[in-house]
Amino acid sequence: MQGIIRTIRDGSGFDILLLSLALIYLVTFSAFPIIYNIIMSLQTVDMFTIASFNRPFVGLQNYYDILSQPIASAVFWNTVKFVVLSIVFQLSIGFGLALFFQQDFPGASYLRGLFLAGWIMPALVVGAIWKWLLAGDFGVINYILMSSGVTEDRIFWLSNPDVALYAVIIANVWLGIPFNMLLLSVGLASIPRDVYEAAELDGAGAFERFRSITLPLMRAQLGAVISLGVIFTLQQFDLIAALTQGGPADSSNVAQYWSWQLSFQTYEISLGSAVSVLMILFVIVVAAVYVRSTRHEHSY
Amino acid sequence: MRRIVKWMAGAVALFSAATAQAEPVTLEIWTIDRPDQYIYLLKDEFEQAHPDIKLNLKTVQFRDMVNDLARATATGEGPDVTYIDNPEVALFASRGLLLDLTPMIENSKIVKKEDIFPGPLASVTWDGKIYGLPRGANTIALYYNADMFKAKGLDPDKPPRTWDELYDAAKKLNDPAKNVYGLAFSAVATEEGTFQFLPWLQMTGGDYNKVDTEGGAKVLEFWGKLLDEKLASPDTLIRGQYDSFATFNAGNAAMAISGPWELPRMSKDAKFDYRATLLPVPYDGAPRASALGEGDNVILANSKHPKEAFILLEWLHSKMPEVWNRFGFLPASKVQIDNPQAPKIYAVFEESMKYARNRGPHPEWPKISKAIYTAIQSSLTHQSDPKTALAAAQKQIDAVLSK
Repeated sequence: MQGIIRTIRDGSGFDILLLSLALIYLVTFSAFPIIYNIIMSLQTVDMFTIASFNRPFVGLQNYYDILSQPIASAVFWNTVKFVVLSIVFQLSIGFGLALFFQQDFPGASYLRGLFLAGWIMPALVVGAIWKWLLAGDFGVINYILMSSGVTEDRIFWLSNPDVALYAVIIANVWLGIPFNMLLLSVGLASIPRDVYEAAELDGAGAFERFRSITLPLMRAQLGAVISLGVIFTLQQFDLIAALTQGGPADSSNVAQYWSWQLSFQTYEISLGSAVSVLMILFVIVVAAVYVRSTRHEHSY
Repeated sequence: MRRIVKWMAGAVALFSAATAQAEPVTLEIWTIDRPDQYIYLLKDEFEQAHPDIKLNLKTVQFRDMVNDLARATATGEGPDVTYIDNPEVALFASRGLLLDLTPMIENSKIVKKEDIFPGPLASVTWDGKIYGLPRGANTIALYYNADMFKAKGLDPDKPPRTWDELYDAAKKLNDPAKNVYGLAFSAVATEEGTFQFLPWLQMTGGDYNKVDTEGGAKVLEFWGKLLDEKLASPDTLIRGQYDSFATFNAGNAAMAISGPWELPRMSKDAKFDYRATLLPVPYDGAPRASALGEGDNVILANSKHPKEAFILLEWLHSKMPEVWNRFGFLPASKVQIDNPQAPKIYAVFEESMKYARNRGPHPEWPKISKAIYTAIQSSLTHQSDPKTALAAAQKQIDAVLSK
């Protein structure tokens, strides 16, 4: 007994204690739900059997059902567009703003702080506001576009199947910019000033300095922001629920929303689980790419 | 050990049964009502009439009700009495989660099965047994702005009776310069879209189990024409009935299809002479149809107080003569309504109820409904033509029905 207490106080027992606390946390709150989800994706589950483990196993039938549904390929491509376009614009605008606020001008840091206002608002609220802005008949955006002569007719942002997905992407880009800007600002601040001064003395122009100093030194931050962005974008549910509910005619439906629809609109919970398992696999791939790309960061 | 536990549980059950006479019983009630609606307004009246029964109300959002209820029944923490939307009764009844009320109704002095209208009765019936009592009913009709009719030279005493007349009226009333659409309705990708579509289909001889018809394609062509010519807002595809109808109240649509639940809001918001008429039919003399909505009061099978719960259901049923004036429901059974509010609109809905048909019943109704609103959406967005869209829906519906 004495021995156990001593090893916990100042021996290897302390390490094991810390490790097991972390492990217990991970197993209860991360591993268990994921494994439970995987099990459900291999069974036939509806709402009434959700509390019991005793459900028929059907193997990969759910995955086959999902992939053979007519909207599967549309949802896949919508998800790709949603993720890629969201990330490209969030990142480039966020990076641009971060560089802008890196310049020394009065109030720069306060203004940068204000940009976070958009990010701390709940996505459901943001969605409701964007719904008003994008409304077809009486929306503010249509009013501005029409009175400034950009378009003749109203654009039905949320009910035109050719436009709806892009309307959701615009709102999502707006929502994601502050987060990108903040993380990249932190990265920019950590690059030593004297590196730039030395380059300037050597005659490097602004673009050259950005290409050969800023970009390479921001590599780790960019990688982190991109992979976090992919994960956040794949989690974006509230905005879609508030704006289009995946419609019209599934033209703005993406994997995460489809998974919810299957589980809670038609109560095919096992099919919804199968979609989410496929999404987890994709996120694991993204995370692996990120870890690989930043592995040799420590070498410099 | 197990035997002792069993014995103790038995003793507790006996004890509570013996004290039931003295102690008031508390019934757990789930509802979708807000504090100014139906059950909240009736709670005090009921508790005064039955001092030995107390009600504990809990509001659940309409869209969460089925999920919450299913989870609660799976874990045994459900209420005694709850509201269920018409098409979901079969889902719960088919799994034995609802109390079969048939024997209680046979012995009841207050509830008479013959008095309940066939549509609402069908909605609470599964496999020949009755699992709930309708708290009221609703259906849809065509509302119109009589002031706009006059301004455009249409006779407000002769509202459109056929689809052709509806199209002509919408075209005449449509006024983009003033932000006025001819018609507002809902083709949204939810149960509401299916609810609005089915009566049109039924007028042409189809139904939820037979959507792949000439008539069905005609309905979608007609709806498509309204949208393509901007006689109805393109947002019809993404707006539910409540939001659609708001545009009518605001004077941005000259006609609107919706139900009696709009009346309280309309009497406040609509600053014009509004009237209602039966849903137009495909041609003169075609059979009429209308949707049947509203929900039912049901008792869960594992309720510990089925007797008291049925007393509540009986009492709520006895309030049927008051539902129109107080709650904006139509009566679901034969009752005399004296001095109805908005008497002309009431008369329209009362007649419309004769043609109201239940959705289903089927335990997998949400899947059938989804097939139908998916077909509506893909046809109205021109992703497929009406026939192809309905054929795809029929395939999915057949798969559900043949299980």
